[in-house]
Amino acid sequence: MSAILLVEDDPDIRHLVAYKLTKSGFDVTEAADGPAGLRQAEQHPPDLVILDVRMPRMSGLEVCRELRGRPGTATVPIIMLTAGTLPEDLEQAYAAGASEYVAKPFSPRELQERVESALARVGS
Amino acid sequence: MLRLFTFTIMVLAAVVLVTGLGIVAARVLRQVRQRKRAALAAGPRRALLAFVADHGEQGSHDLVAIPEDAWAAAAPGALGLLGKLRGDAHAALVSVFLRRGTARAALRDLRSRSRVRRSRAAQVLGDLEVRQAVPELCRLLTDRHGEVRVVAVRALGRIGDPTAAWRLITSLDQSDPVPSLLVTHTLVQLGPDAEVTLSAALDHPQARVRAVCLDALGLLGAAGSVGRVARVLREDAVLDVRVAAAANLGRLGARSAIEPLTGALTPARPAPLRAAAARALGDLGAPAAVPALAALLGDGEYRVAHAAAHALRRLGRTGQEALRFVLATEADEMAAAGRGSHASPSSAASHAREALALAALSAGSGSGFGSGSSSGFAAVAGQVAVGA
Repeated sequence: MSAILLVEDDPDIRHLVAYKLTKSGFDVTEAADGPAGLRQAEQHPPDLVILDVRMPRMSGLEVCRELRGRPGTATVPIIMLTAGTLPEDLEQAYAAGASEYVAKPFSPRELQERVESALARVGS
Repeated sequence: MLRLFTFTIMVLAAVVLVTGLGIVAARVLRQVRQRKRAALAAGPRRALLAFVADHGEQGSHDLVAIPEDAWAAAAPGALGLLGKLRGDAHAALVSVFLRRGTARAALRDLRSRSRVRRSRAAQVLGDLEVRQAVPELCRLLTDRHGEVRVVAVRALGRIGDPTAAWRLITSLDQSDPVPSLLVTHTLVQLGPDAEVTLSAALDHPQARVRAVCLDALGLLGAAGSVGRVARVLREDAVLDVRVAAAANLGRLGARSAIEPLTGALTPARPAPLRAAAARALGDLGAPAAVPALAALLGDGEYRVAHAAAHALRRLGRTGQEALRFVLATEADEMAAAGRGSHASPSSAASHAREALALAALSAGSGSGFGSGSSSGFAAVAGQVAVGA
């Protein structure tokens, strides 16, 4: 069972995505902000991270850079989930180390497919 | 006197105490209400999230059967979720709201005397994408309250019905219109079917309206409107509108835009228009524009020469070869005149050097200028000479 760390400050989106992925057989750990997500990643190294970009305290881009700097999460797939769809937003996300980018409004089904394909690529 | 003073102090103390107690009581009451509301909403919220996550395949009857008070507590959160979802999940959520009569109530509230209710109703109808609400939302475009008009514009964008295009366009022609950028964005959301209306509005007497329609056509990539946009570029009485026409011809990406844009580069035209036309030729990405742009590198108007140099940079290999050609030619002339490398370069060479430096930075290498072949530009220049 692949472990997924979901860092999202919007409780509705977080619960929705967690429910969807748990039902599909993933082991989902939830975090409501960046620092909590980093702590969770330290305690339970994930196979994949879903990260909201705009969060209070610490942005998703900062969390992404921090995760990429740690040996345990340097190579795990990171999917950024955000409302920003400008080319600059994409560039920033990829520059921070994101593997994929899902724009809000999003389809939970599509997100699940992106998670599955990202995990399949790394063989988790 | 002392008794009066003591009495006044006591009255004031009592007032402060009563006010303090009142504030504390109101806060406690609000917290109790919020907790009660949250507890009431918890069940429906869980059921809604599960329903949405399952793409609405099961559980819709349970959601429709939720008692009104519990639904009222959960509805604001669920409505907020509408704007964050798309696909099956969005459709599932919309179906629940429609079955619970939310759209009917919102349609009624569009005529409410309260502007908050009208705004909220417009937002709900936009989030639910209720096409039936388009005429009423169009009516709100002339609402006396600006915030209601803004919400109505956004709602029309979410619904995306192109029949709203003309009303949106004409809503710009009033004393306190909605911000142009919001209307442009909304017109783009209406999709390619709005192109005919946008194109027709290029004859509108208001310059602001024409400029917004040009931007919307450019963002839509309405290549069928190149002829009309080119006519605005040539004939419009307002310079800002002609500049907008030039910029949007570049966005349209059609080969037929090269000729009108090249025509706008002539020295008789105002400098802002020539600079916009040069930038647009860069946006078009047409190598055929290279000779016309290269001829502007030594232009007396700084912004025109600057725009031409960066347009050439964005045209890729052929454009950058033209920039190198200018540098190489100047170096040869200086050598022939026996002037050293410390001699001041011409403004054309300065613009070319700056553009090439930026190209080198973008490419992540430092070898973008001062060397390399200029044969590509020479070839293009030769073709033009042959064509002429």
